Amino acid sequence: MCRVLGYLGRPIPLVHLLYETDSSLVRQAYSPRMMAVFLNLAGFGMTAWDPDSVHPDEPFTYKVTTLPLFDRNLRNLAQKISPTCLLAHVRGVTDSEDEVIAQQNLHPFRFHDVKVTLAHNGHLREFARMRYDLVEHVRPEFIRRIEGTTDSEWIYALVLSQLEDPHGMPEAAEIVEATVKALSILRAVRERNEIETSSPLNLFISTGRCLVATRFSFDYGWYPENDTLLETDLPYVSLWYTVGHEYVERAGEWTMVGADRASSLLIASEPLTSDTSSWLEAPEYSLLSASVADGVFKMEVMDLAV
Amino acid sequence: MPSESAPAASPHTSPNDIVDFLGTVQLFGGIPPEELDELARVMLAVELPPGDDLWRQGEEVNGLHVIAKGLVQVSARLPGDREVELATLGVGEVLGEIPLIDGGARTATVRAVEPTTALFLSRADFTALVSRLHPTAFTIKRRIAAIACERLRKRYAALAASLGDRPAPVASPDDLPRDLAEDTFASVERPSLEYLRRLSFFRVFDPPQLVEILESGRLAFLPVRHVIVGEGGPAAACYVTLDGAVEEVIRRGESAIRVGLAGPGRAFGYVGLIDGEPAPVTAATRERTLLLAVSRTQFDALFYGSTIGSYAFFEAVQRDLMTALRQADRPQARLATAAS
Repeated sequence: MCRVLGYLGRPIPLVHLLYETDSSLVRQAYSPRMMAVFLNLAGFGMTAWDPDSVHPDEPFTYKVTTLPLFDRNLRNLAQKISPTCLLAHVRGVTDSEDEVIAQQNLHPFRFHDVKVTLAHNGHLREFARMRYDLVEHVRPEFIRRIEGTTDSEWIYALVLSQLEDPHGMPEAAEIVEATVKALSILRAVRERNEIETSSPLNLFISTGRCLVATRFSFDYGWYPENDTLLETDLPYVSLWYTVGHEYVERAGEWTMVGADRASSLLIASEPLTSDTSSWLEAPEYSLLSASVADGVFKMEVMDLAV
Repeated sequence: MPSESAPAASPHTSPNDIVDFLGTVQLFGGIPPEELDELARVMLAVELPPGDDLWRQGEEVNGLHVIAKGLVQVSARLPGDREVELATLGVGEVLGEIPLIDGGARTATVRAVEPTTALFLSRADFTALVSRLHPTAFTIKRRIAAIACERLRKRYAALAASLGDRPAPVASPDDLPRDLAEDTFASVERPSLEYLRRLSFFRVFDPPQLVEILESGRLAFLPVRHVIVGEGGPAAACYVTLDGAVEEVIRRGESAIRVGLAGPGRAFGYVGLIDGEPAPVTAATRERTLLLAVSRTQFDALFYGSTIGSYAFFEAVQRDLMTALRQADRPQARLATAAS
């Protein structure tokens, strides 16, 4: 399991989100509060959009397989960047010899000539049995670009392939539609391969102008007999959000303020603060969608029936 | 900050007054006077002017309070630095017992609306009171369960009201599943004890107790979208999800709110068994699901029984009830946020 953070809204110094809160994303790499038996030490990645930068639709991208806590470059950059949109991810892997720790496996995924970026918390059990059945649903140009060994990169290619114009700038509604289609394909492929165990897919998808996130699991609550995590019932694949005008520190406490002028959204695998009272937990089988168009912020939470 | 003082400083000026007052409190009603006398000696009076917080959401729990005078407002924080009011409580109401049972943090902020006096029972004294194998301990624990059921119904009613004034779906008694059909019990393989003991409901049972519980119920395998309990229908059984997931839903017309999701190790259907009222919500499978169904008769024998196994069953149901209460707060907060 991993930890993911998504942000859309007013410009915010990156250092606040990555380092300064008492359960910041960087801290969640080595000390996640809601994931007692699992650490996220297999690398850090982010895409951050700054509308005042050169080529504003191209995000600043940074990926490294070392621990972000000791990464001075990242810390320095985080103090200089104030994005309006962010996807950031710390990767966790099981203690298996099969795991590959490499930059190609770091999230968020973004092929060079598309606008859509995706990060994932969860896993498709028995993915090796499914992989080749997915080929017919993924555009050939995206299959050729898959560099890593993760199920997540295939999910990314699958979502992209469901977009009418995967090389364009899709709106939130188009990403929602493509995501639902991709999940439906995955369900059908799982059924064809008789895979019936829980497989959580908390996806974070963004173009820099919108943010879509899912809290979803196939076969929720069906675990392999030897599974010890029972992950869908534990907060390993939880999803939390907080919404308001801006995320600020007040009297030593980080909180979202200005509910009546909502223009900023934080979505995360777990809250960025140990005090969770100003965060809401997204329910299982849900999809959050937020966008900013012509300066107007819109957000919606819907049931995800796939 | 509230000020704490000895019981003599409260409006109930003598220990006898406090004993008389505690006898009128739902949580302590029916407890012998000598036991109430002991309780009165360890409770502290807390005085609060209007606007002061008794406690704040997210704080660690140090005990429970009984409102002896005045009025308090219970509210929860929302994103954007706002609050949603959950309830207004007055004399005789008990506050803060849920985190004492499930070990979690304060679920809401409690603020005095009027000059208020609350009697405080510390966590240590509460634990000493309910940890004994003594009739009073069981009386209090069952009262807490009854109070929790009442609160859960109030939360559900508030959520139902948010869906407008459309009536609950009317189901004729013939449509409502009084119990699972016989064929759902056919040829179901039981998961291993090792797996079951990892589930939250069964963690308090040792292997022989777990076998006793499993043998007192029946396993049922249900397909997706199978209605197990209908809102307003009779409570026929308590169910524990072993594999899969069951949604608890309040439906009004075309609108619905999910108030809970019972994955492996979560129970449902027992509220009506505890308080004798109709089922407060509809429960239907969201995934194909394997359940342990404990009939009303078996539930009563376990919930009110006096064997070690039945004590463990009571603890498991009580913990599940506290989880259900916490879950029921979430849709209300989400609705309030969405409405802003």
